[in-house]
Amino acid sequence: MTVSTEASAEASTPDGATAVLKPAALTPSAKPALRPGVSPARSRRAPAELPFTFADAALAAALGEERGEPAWLREDRTAAAADFARLPVESNQLYTGYVDFRAADLSGARPFLRGADAPAIGADASLPEGAAGVIELRDDVVVRLALEPDLVARGVVLETLGAAMARDAAGIRDALLATPLPTDEKLAALSRGFWSQGIHLHVPDGVHVERPILLRWAAGTPERALLGRTIIRIGIDASASVIEDQVAPGPAIACAAGEPVPQGLVGATSEIHLGAGATLSFASIQDLPLATTLLHQRAATLGRGATLKLALAQLGARIVRSRIDNRLMGQGSSVEQVEIVFGGTDQLFDLTSYTRHVGEDTTGNLLSKAVLQQGSRAYIKGLIRIEQTARGTDSFLGEFGMILDRKSRSVTVPSLEIDQPDCKRAAHASSVGPIDPAQLFYLESRGITPDEARKFITLGFLEPVVARVPLESERERLWGLLEAKWAQRRDEDAPAA
Amino acid sequence: MTVAREEIVSQEYKYGFHDDVTYLAETKVGLTRQTVVEISGFKAEPDWMLQFRLRAYDHFLARAMPTWIPESVQHLDFSKIVYYRKPSEGEEKSWDDVPEKIKQTFEKLGIPEAERKFLAGVGAQYDSEVVYHSVREELSKIGVVFMGMDQGLREYPEIVKKYFGTVIPPEDNKFAALNSAVWSGGSFVYIPKGVEVPLPLQAYFRINGENTGQFERTLIIADEGSKVHYIEGCTAPIYTTDALHAAVVEVIALPGAQIRYTTIQNWSRDVYNLVTKRAHAHARSRVEWVDANTGSRASVKYPAIYLRGEGASAEVISVAFAGQGQHQDTGAKAVHLAPNTRSRIVSKSVSKNGGRATYRGTLKVAPGATGVVASVRCDALLLDEASRSDTYPYIDIQEDDTTMTHEATVGKVSADQIFYLMSRGLTENEATNLIVQGFLEVFTKELPMEYAIEFNRLVKMEMEGSLG
Repeated sequence: MTVSTEASAEASTPDGATAVLKPAALTPSAKPALRPGVSPARSRRAPAELPFTFADAALAAALGEERGEPAWLREDRTAAAADFARLPVESNQLYTGYVDFRAADLSGARPFLRGADAPAIGADASLPEGAAGVIELRDDVVVRLALEPDLVARGVVLETLGAAMARDAAGIRDALLATPLPTDEKLAALSRGFWSQGIHLHVPDGVHVERPILLRWAAGTPERALLGRTIIRIGIDASASVIEDQVAPGPAIACAAGEPVPQGLVGATSEIHLGAGATLSFASIQDLPLATTLLHQRAATLGRGATLKLALAQLGARIVRSRIDNRLMGQGSSVEQVEIVFGGTDQLFDLTSYTRHVGEDTTGNLLSKAVLQQGSRAYIKGLIRIEQTARGTDSFLGEFGMILDRKSRSVTVPSLEIDQPDCKRAAHASSVGPIDPAQLFYLESRGITPDEARKFITLGFLEPVVARVPLESERERLWGLLEAKWAQRRDEDAPAA
Repeated sequence: MTVAREEIVSQEYKYGFHDDVTYLAETKVGLTRQTVVEISGFKAEPDWMLQFRLRAYDHFLARAMPTWIPESVQHLDFSKIVYYRKPSEGEEKSWDDVPEKIKQTFEKLGIPEAERKFLAGVGAQYDSEVVYHSVREELSKIGVVFMGMDQGLREYPEIVKKYFGTVIPPEDNKFAALNSAVWSGGSFVYIPKGVEVPLPLQAYFRINGENTGQFERTLIIADEGSKVHYIEGCTAPIYTTDALHAAVVEVIALPGAQIRYTTIQNWSRDVYNLVTKRAHAHARSRVEWVDANTGSRASVKYPAIYLRGEGASAEVISVAFAGQGQHQDTGAKAVHLAPNTRSRIVSKSVSKNGGRATYRGTLKVAPGATGVVASVRCDALLLDEASRSDTYPYIDIQEDDTTMTHEATVGKVSADQIFYLMSRGLTENEATNLIVQGFLEVFTKELPMEYAIEFNRLVKMEMEGSLG
């Protein structure tokens, strides 16, 4: 069942033919550039204007048609497509000044249409060492799928969304429709309306999955737009730990001098449902190709006494625009979220995090840390919202930055909206500073070279996420990525020979 | 403004007394190009000022109403306002006409007799003129200029032309554009090089009908190495029949100068208070905004300091008290444009009886501003479940050796503290009041003694719900 996605997408996308023709016409060599290396199309666009045009009602209809979806899902796509068309890129007035898609050039990006529901022929069915399950996709093709037989027997499900539809459409219906994704968010509507591939992980009530489950998605193919959803449902008193890898689909693309690397778009979601007493540890390592624009929506609803632990590392992509919505609905539920950014060459990390306290005695503990170098930017926005019902809330938001050179920029907007005075804690803190000279001095006095000392301090600053990755091999991989990023800076700073 | 304003008036505006002042000159209701030309004409202004006003008027029309400000402000009807009235000379109202409740408020606050009459809007001019004359003589001896903005424009046209609108251009925001088009009154202050003004300059000494105008415009210039403390407002509620107050305050601290600007804003509860305050701090200068907002229906005010010269420093202490029906949308901005500059922002707010206090602030370090040290601290007290507190700080750092810290907390008065104080014989009300006063002390301690005492009394009255 490996349908060639390329061919069908081009054939049945309503405006597919023109879309395919566009890229050649828009390359800088085809039109006179205003400045060397900047295409006229790019310099004309406003910062908040989306860099692609493929997402329209016709595409939503074509997706439902091509995938043979039931009426309720087609209606959802149509409604989402309408929301997408209607909503502004930034729905929150507080943050409208911090959207910048100007570096993205996706006018020729073509969406995927008919994703394969089952693993490709010859796909890997082995488990990675130490993991309880794995699903790996390359663009929209499943290249690896495995789950411990014992977990299968206990009702744990790891599959594509297409497979879930085929197996039990009624069972997945609520998860797809009653999604925790925010209704006022344009980019959430983008995923809902135009997804072509997805992952579904379900852990039934009372089941504890001891070892981590790996969800790996290789994406960012140039000139393509991959829109996928990931739905994770952890039942009552169940528990699981998940590692999400977002990696490159192949080796980096090299272009002739002056030619821009063709860009790709990745739209992703993490839609998390936690039943009463459920626990989920979720670690993510994002290392997509540097010519990628990543739009990521994560949203979780937490039932009574549920616990969510998020550890997120943002390393790759040219532009990352991510929004996290944690909704603490149930009494005594808690979320712990740590997000790190290590920015390099001209990267932009636009990260927003909403924590909504609704139930009583809920806890939110959020920490964001960014290390920025080589002209990278981080816009880190966080909003703690304590509703009138949320007595006894304990909520903290910390946003910390370390800027390593004078070309980089850190924007933090840690906000609070509070309607209930009876809280244990409602606070935020933020700081930005260079590498602490006192720490440097201490390490140097112990015989460590200044260079090594700087590296220790910088990578140590980002350590909190590394420590929270539950799989040894993945921890090492993340550490390797951080070291490579550090080395990249050294290379660039080295005097020319 | 129409319906809402009537409601407020009938429900809350307990001290409203009608003033029967006849006006020598006033513009028609509403704002047209002709209104702007007329205002400038009444004042016989130089042509550049008329052009400035017209440029501002055009921008006011073109500029959209900001959508993030308190909702009640967004519904302001600019066509229902009289933009200029010149009060007649010698017109006085009788102290007997002032409602008993107002007199009691003054009594409780301990306001001196002469000031009470002024604050109540009844002919206190002769009383204060006496005080003012002696102050003025003392000031003019050391070369300090302290007069109304209109008079300043007539007597010091060169200085005014050089600085007016340079800190806050009309294009800055919609309300600055409005003020620039129709401004009237406000203060003009010039402190010569090296002069230290020994006593605070108090805006209400310089009394005239334009003093508490709707569209006052203040310009303060402290020349090199000089020092001044300017105080505006007062703890007693200011009664006005104008529902809109859109002021612009421009402050310039030339190299080595020190300026402190203290405000106690206590407009009556139906006023929309939309104020743009900004200072330019040149090399080694220091600018401090000490700002309290207790009155008005909605306040939109973020005193700003642009640190333009190396070694400049800035401090903003901002407190807000939001009671029933009030929204205090206040905060501070520090923009670091030069190396080795420092800023500190401290904000405290109290929300009670359904009031909403919003802190909105910006801290920006521009490329080239190396060695910056900055801190922001915001604390909020929520006294009941009907009230709300928001904190929106924007921190934008573009230099790698900046040291910036920001902290914010929101909480209630702790039950333990109340219990402790009650065990010492205080009533619950007294205990809460004491804790709130302590919470706001960071502001109070910066005030001159008599203001501090009055401010604490004001807080006590707010807490007892006996005000507004």
